[in-house]
Amino acid sequence: MSETAYLASPGPAAPAATGLPWRRWASQAGAVIRLDLRKGFRRPVLLLVLAAVPVFIALMRVLFSAHAVHDTADVAEGTNFYAWMYQVLILRLELFLVGVAVFGNLIRREVLDRTLHYYFLSPIRRELLVAAKYLTGVLVTFTLFGLSTVISFALAYLPHDWTAVSHFVFHGPGLHQLASYLLVTFLACVGYGAVFLALGFFFKSPAVPALGMFGWESIHFLLPPLLKQFSVIHYLQSLCPVPISEGPLAVLSDAPAPWVSVAGLIALAVVLVAVSGWRIRRMEISYDES
Amino acid sequence: MSDRQVVFENVSKFYGEVLGVNRVSLAIPPGITGLVGPNGSGKTTLMNLMVGLLRPSRGRISVLGMDPRRPEELFKHVGYSTQYDAFPPGLTGSQFIRTYLRVHGYTAAEAETLTWKALERVGLTEAAGRKVAGYSKGMRQRVKLAQAISHQPSVLVLDEPLNGLDPMARSEVINLFRELADGGLHVIVSSHILHEVDLISDQVVLIHGGYVIAEGDIANVRDEMEEEHPAQVSIRCDRPSLLASQVFALDSVMEARIDDDGKGVLVRTRDADRFHLLLNQVVLENGLAVEAVAPADADVNAVYQYLIGSNGEKS
Repeated sequence: MSETAYLASPGPAAPAATGLPWRRWASQAGAVIRLDLRKGFRRPVLLLVLAAVPVFIALMRVLFSAHAVHDTADVAEGTNFYAWMYQVLILRLELFLVGVAVFGNLIRREVLDRTLHYYFLSPIRRELLVAAKYLTGVLVTFTLFGLSTVISFALAYLPHDWTAVSHFVFHGPGLHQLASYLLVTFLACVGYGAVFLALGFFFKSPAVPALGMFGWESIHFLLPPLLKQFSVIHYLQSLCPVPISEGPLAVLSDAPAPWVSVAGLIALAVVLVAVSGWRIRRMEISYDES
Repeated sequence: MSDRQVVFENVSKFYGEVLGVNRVSLAIPPGITGLVGPNGSGKTTLMNLMVGLLRPSRGRISVLGMDPRRPEELFKHVGYSTQYDAFPPGLTGSQFIRTYLRVHGYTAAEAETLTWKALERVGLTEAAGRKVAGYSKGMRQRVKLAQAISHQPSVLVLDEPLNGLDPMARSEVINLFRELADGGLHVIVSSHILHEVDLISDQVVLIHGGYVIAEGDIANVRDEMEEEHPAQVSIRCDRPSLLASQVFALDSVMEARIDDDGKGVLVRTRDADRFHLLLNQVVLENGLAVEAVAPADADVNAVYQYLIGSNGEKS
């Protein structure tokens, strides 16, 4: 093929549109998400292990139900077991760690692999790039931990009497509780994800801010009401359908209204993703220094 | 005019207190431009500034009238093959190119067509289905080149693109650069191997220690240095002693020295054009059989050495 022919048929030009090119942006975001799913989450061993832990614990309770369950007709026992496991293990520990591991490394991993420049050398708005990578993180973490939430929730009631469980699920608060836990899982992925995505732009290693934030989130029950409002867990916990005791030292405060928690966490995520977009717009690539 | 050029206006880049490049002003026209300098001279910094991977500490850059700070516009028209020898894990050669074309915004069908076109251009179609991780260094260079040209840019920026290529592939790639440049593209190539750039460039930018020390057509750059560094001309002929005695009598000749092998003469002259005219007369009048006449120090290597001086300082 001659060069003249090559240049004379420059292939399909990237679409030029009047107004905002939403279709182009959607197509580019889709490409980033597909590529990130392919190369970033090829072997999500850590995520799978973390997601499997609650399932494993709930399964152990099923296997040893003779010792672990006192009254199979009392579904409240399953409800309390799950409330503790969800809030202590899944919400405060696992979803937090997942936020650090996944979202704190969305950009950092590309820098360490020296592959970020391939994105930067494409005609894609960097803000769109960061938003697409964030969506990939939310998609992956919510899929895994949403499944983990559903399966472990189901297993929590498996040792109990089927009639009581059926009544609890279909005529009682069971489905509503499951939906609430799923909502909290989703908002935790969204909230912690946005926090650690943004922190990744301000710190070379996400470990340092993660430790600080973990400490802050861990002692949130000791904080005065005003300071509680500056923790993510305060809003997430308020959406959990079954409260758990935080001990005698806990400082009591009014839980925010559900709509405030949901809207607040989403607004926080939007602001932090926008901050990340602003940072990536000014980001330079110098892998040697990184 | 700047809509057809890559323009640097008094551009400086500092990494903290370390100088990257300083006060660079350039206007790069279409054709092949060689960025020449030793490792650490600022070539990669200049290229990264050109495509917005770095931001200038001072000054302004425009690429065909576009601002490198707007990648969404710039990279519709610019392709860059970096020096970084890293690839997204798990992808084959064709997947690598196709995937990033999708990030450009092309449809699956368009990306497929462009991918194979680019792979064909660099002679990598047979290895397209293999994982890039298993490629040789030369193949990795070529797949990076294919990725850079896949969206058919107007400006192609290539950082040390010939590294790791075997002689055959090197020749093919150089021919490709020439074809692309003849088609009106800006092909901007960096290399620390001076004679390599000499072979392929229409114009050169010589960089040393972060400063541009010369730019333009290499012959013109050499001519401008004639006062300080007289041109050297090598003449291979059957009777070098006679030729030496004849040319030494010419006004424009400063020195005529017989080669060590006794089969030629090296002449130093302050006026190469005039010397070449007079040389014809000498040859005809004395019936000399001349095998070759060639400049001995008009290549990039010699010019670079003259410019930076023997101790590496800019002269």
